[in-house]
Amino acid sequence: MKKLMIALSAIAAAVGFTATAKADISVSGSSNVAYLSTAGDGANDEELAVGNTVSFAMSTTTSGGIGISSSLALSTDYDGNNSQTVDGGNSVTFTTGGATIVVGDVEISDTIGSVGGVVNGPLDDASDLDSSVGTGFVDDDGTGVELTTAMGSASLNISYVSNDNTDNFGALNSSAAGADSAMSASITMPFGAYSATIGVADSDTGESSSGASVSGTIGGGTVTVGYSNVTTITGNADITTAGDSEVIGATYVMAMDADTTISVGYQSAKDADSESHTQTDLSVERALGGGATVYLDLRNLTGDTAANMDGTAIAFGTSVAF
Amino acid sequence: MFRSLLLLILVFSFQSCSKGLLDGDLEKNLKAMDKMHGYCNNPYRTFSKKEKKICEDKERAAGPDGEIGEPLNITKMIEDFRSGGTNTVYQGMSVNKNLWEASLILLNQYPLDIVDSQGGFISTDWIIEKENLNQRCLIKVNVTSQELVSNGARVKLLCEEKDGDIWYQDNISYEEEEKILTLKILDIANELSVTEKLS
Repeated sequence: MKKLMIALSAIAAAVGFTATAKADISVSGSSNVAYLSTAGDGANDEELAVGNTVSFAMSTTTSGGIGISSSLALSTDYDGNNSQTVDGGNSVTFTTGGATIVVGDVEISDTIGSVGGVVNGPLDDASDLDSSVGTGFVDDDGTGVELTTAMGSASLNISYVSNDNTDNFGALNSSAAGADSAMSASITMPFGAYSATIGVADSDTGESSSGASVSGTIGGGTVTVGYSNVTTITGNADITTAGDSEVIGATYVMAMDADTTISVGYQSAKDADSESHTQTDLSVERALGGGATVYLDLRNLTGDTAANMDGTAIAFGTSVAF
Repeated sequence: MFRSLLLLILVFSFQSCSKGLLDGDLEKNLKAMDKMHGYCNNPYRTFSKKEKKICEDKERAAGPDGEIGEPLNITKMIEDFRSGGTNTVYQGMSVNKNLWEASLILLNQYPLDIVDSQGGFISTDWIIEKENLNQRCLIKVNVTSQELVSNGARVKLLCEEKDGDIWYQDNISYEEEEKILTLKILDIANELSVTEKLS
C-alpha cells in the first residue's frame, strides 16, 4: 500500500506543477468546414472551404500584479488553397487593474460605427461578393502603442501607430516616404440599458474618420446601430476620387433557445466616387456541444460591384473549437 | 511629437494604477461591453486575427447560454448499456468545483467505478499492484462542501487480502494515508483556485 501512496503523491505533485504551468502557456484551436455557393457568373461558384488554426498563448503575472501576455498562431486558411500562415507574435500586452497596454503591431480604430456584417468567416472571406465602395484607411496598422483604460463606467481606447510601414520592428519616427503615423481614440459609455461608442481617427496621409454606434437590448435580442464617416485618399483600389465615404448599418442578434442564435445585418455604404452598395446578412447558428457548431449563412450584395460579384452567396458549414 | 508625448504620459500614468480614472474598473466595464458585443467582438479587447477566429468559434460553440455542452459519446453509451449501467455519471454539480476537479486529478491514474458529480462521490475500482497480487485496495472520495474549505473532502481507503480464492477485508486503519490523500486534494484544489483567479 505504501507504494500506492508514493505513486499517488508523485502524481499529485506532478499534476500540481502542470496546473500552475497551464496558466502560463495555453493552446487552443479550431477547425472549419464549409460548403459555399458563391457569387459569380455561374462557373466554379460552388466551393469547399476547410481550415485549421492552432494558437499558442503565453502569459504571466509579476509579483506586482502586472499581467504580460502574447500569442502566436499557426493556420491553414480556409480561403486559400494550401495557404499556411503564421499570425500574431508581433505585439506584447501589459495588463494592470486599471489599464491594458499593447506594444508592437497595433491597429487603429478607423471604422468606428461601421456595422452590419454577421456572417461567419468562410462566407465573409470567400463569398466572391466584391463591392466597389471604398471605406476605411489604406493602412491602419503598424508599429505603435495601444492603451485601453476605464474612466468610471466608461471605457477609453487610444491607439497610436508611429510607423505604418512596419509591424513589430522599425523606426519610430521614420523619415522614409510612406512611413506615416496615425492615431485613433474612442470612448464607450453606458446610458440606461444602452451603450454608446464614439470615436475619431486621423492619419498623416490625410485620411481621417469619425463614427458612432449604439447597442441595446430590444425584444429579447441585442440591436446595434452605427454610422461611420471616413475621409479617404486615392490609395485605396476602390477609390479614384478622394473624399468622404459613409457607412450606415445595423445588426440584430437573438437567442432562439440555449443553443441556437439567429443574427441579421444590414449595411448601406457610399464613397466619394458616387458608388454605393447595400449588403444584407443572415446567420443561423446551432451549438452541438463538445465545441462543435453548425451554421447557415447568407449574404446579399447589390449596387456598384466588380463584374459578376453581386448577388447572393450562401454557406453551410461547421466550426469546431478545441 | 505631440502624439508621442501624450501617449507616453498616458502610458506611465496608467501602468502602475490598479484602477482607471474616476475609480473606473476596466475589467468590469469590459464585461459589461461583452454582453452587448460578445466577448470576441468587443472592440476594446485585443486579439490577433487568428485568435479572434478561434474565440468566435468557441463563443459560437458555447451558444447563447454560454456553456459548451458535453458531446454525445456513443461509445460510452454502448459500454454503459452493455455493463448494465454500473458506471453512473451524473450531470450537474452541487459541490465545490476545485475540490471536485482535484479529486478527479488525484485519481485519474486509476479505473473509476463511480463518478457522481451531483453527490460529490468518487470511487475507484479495485487497485491491485503487480508485486502483491494478494492485496487490493480502493479509494473513496466524498466532496461535501460547496466552498473550498479544509474539511470539504473526505477520503476513505478500503483494502482486502486474499486467502485462497476469497477476499477478506484486512481491518487495518489507513488514517495516515487518508490524511495524506486529503491534503493532496486540498493542495491541488488550491492550485486550481489560484490558477483560475489569475487567468
